[in-house]
Amino acid sequence: MNDEPVMVFRDVVKVYPLPAGDVTALAGVSFQVDRGEFISVMGPSGSGKSTLLNLMGCLGTPTSGDIWISGVRTRDMTDTELTSLRRDRIGFIFQYFNLFPLLNIIENVTFPMMLKTGKGVDPERGKEVLRAVQLDDSLFTHTPTELSGGQQQRVAVARALINNPDILLCDEPTGNLDSKTGAGIMDLMTDLNHKGTTIIMVTHDPNIAAYSKRTIRITDGRIAL
Amino acid sequence: MIFWEIAKRNLRIHLLRSFLAMLGIVIGVVAISTMGILGNSMVLSVSDSLRTVGDSVIVTPHAGGSARGFGEGTGSTTFTISEQEFQQIKRVSAPNLAIPVLRTSERMKLGVGSEDLVAMVYGLNPDDVPSMLILQEGDYNRGNSGCLVGATFAKDNNVKVGSRISMGKDGEKGTLRVTGIIEERGMAFDVSTDSAVVATQDWFEATYDRNDYDQVVVKVKNLDEIADVKVAIEKQVNRRETVVDVMDTRKVMESIFEAFGQITTFVSAIGGISMIVAGVSILNIMMMSVTERIKEIGIMRSIGAQRREAISMFLYEAAILGVVGSIIGGLLSLLGGYAISSLMLQTTRYLFEPSTLVHIVYGMAFGIFVCLICGIYPAWRAVNLNPIDALRHE
Repeated sequence: MNDEPVMVFRDVVKVYPLPAGDVTALAGVSFQVDRGEFISVMGPSGSGKSTLLNLMGCLGTPTSGDIWISGVRTRDMTDTELTSLRRDRIGFIFQYFNLFPLLNIIENVTFPMMLKTGKGVDPERGKEVLRAVQLDDSLFTHTPTELSGGQQQRVAVARALINNPDILLCDEPTGNLDSKTGAGIMDLMTDLNHKGTTIIMVTHDPNIAAYSKRTIRITDGRIAL
Repeated sequence: MIFWEIAKRNLRIHLLRSFLAMLGIVIGVVAISTMGILGNSMVLSVSDSLRTVGDSVIVTPHAGGSARGFGEGTGSTTFTISEQEFQQIKRVSAPNLAIPVLRTSERMKLGVGSEDLVAMVYGLNPDDVPSMLILQEGDYNRGNSGCLVGATFAKDNNVKVGSRISMGKDGEKGTLRVTGIIEERGMAFDVSTDSAVVATQDWFEATYDRNDYDQVVVKVKNLDEIADVKVAIEKQVNRRETVVDVMDTRKVMESIFEAFGQITTFVSAIGGISMIVAGVSILNIMMMSVTERIKEIGIMRSIGAQRREAISMFLYEAAILGVVGSIIGGLLSLLGGYAISSLMLQTTRYLFEPSTLVHIVYGMAFGIFVCLICGIYPAWRAVNLNPIDALRHE
């Protein structure tokens, strides 16, 4: 395992040009995430949290400054290259689970893998990851709508893990769950982190942030020290 | 591939919507194909009637010229081609065969007690006949007491090989024995033998005291030379004044087919309008499919689906609608073409000709093409959304 940081932000600025005037969402953000960390990003709404998350997930490019993901600078990448980077290096977990209703659980979980290999479903790998997130075997061929919220989020975690990403990027992973189920998901996250997975989690809930080892607070587009 | 699977499932859960879109394509394909089938069957049917005449140059006396014809009675305005002119025609059109044709209409009687009837009588050199006329029964006639009759003439008058025909009023021009029956030729520019009697040139010349011809038919072996032969004859025979009219039958047929082709194109274009309407409904359905799945596209893009992969999902949907709709449409066109052929042409034998069936292929290809074109724009719009905006879409 190399010791290279999985993510580096250096003087990252993001400006949204709007007709009423430019809006600076991030005004020079620098930080580094090392392998194996469990970080939470906190901040009030409008603080630039979502912008930061999008940039971390390579869903957008900064106005200035540089971002490295596993040592790769993303500034001059094409859309195709950024898409491949998301597929291979980053696992996304959303607040609303965002599973595909037309696909069953196994197909949902192996979807990023199919994108990567260009081949069909690999049920064995899918089952392996689903068992790692403690989902019951009997649910594997169901569709997402037949599962509870907590179960769906476990499937989403499994989907995020399928390509062995360098970073697990979570956007309010428990925001749509009751506190007990949410705690179950957070226990799963903690467990994954103990096994070596790097996790970055955006949340506004201090109880959830408490699971992480380090918290980055962001206010008015800057990191608050 | 998973995108193919998603496309299939999406069509299946919106079954009614998919069915209606497909119905549009089916109607479009049927409209285009049956119009094409009908048009082509008509062309084939006409060309069948004209099929034996496409290789000829027909030389007839110039109708606007001064009256000639020496051996005729006074005041006669019969136009003919003289022996000298025939020899000129024969020389310039060699090595193609120049056939002199004599013809008149004559009263005749079949057997004792039957009514007199009037029919066309041709005088042709027995050597030329086999290259012009095909027999369905009997043998070519070589002697001056024999004749051939057309298929319609034989059928209408119950004439068989061996029957005898008394020529002229009360048989004053002698009796001819039927040696063969000529296969039906349909409408022709050279000789129309279906309802006629074909005797020998010698008999004709002796009976009617003729030494000139009514028409000369030049059979051109190489069809590419047909225009050259026509020009050569005109140059030679009409050197000083216009004495003959020269008709290139292939030209005539070409203009007939061209006219039919235009009619076919026109009716197919009307069918094309229904295909465009179908295309618009496909476009509408694909737009709907894209709009309600913007968020899904955003998720796919954010977890690593490339633009072209997301596009492929929508193109697969359009392609399934197009291909299935076109296949159903193609099958229905075959049935429709069968029905319309038997109703309008009283025959379906032109339906299974490759040149007719290809219209079904055209219709199907156009159906698939329209579907794909109408699927591309919505798909393109979908995948060019910013993944962040697409994710936020509710």
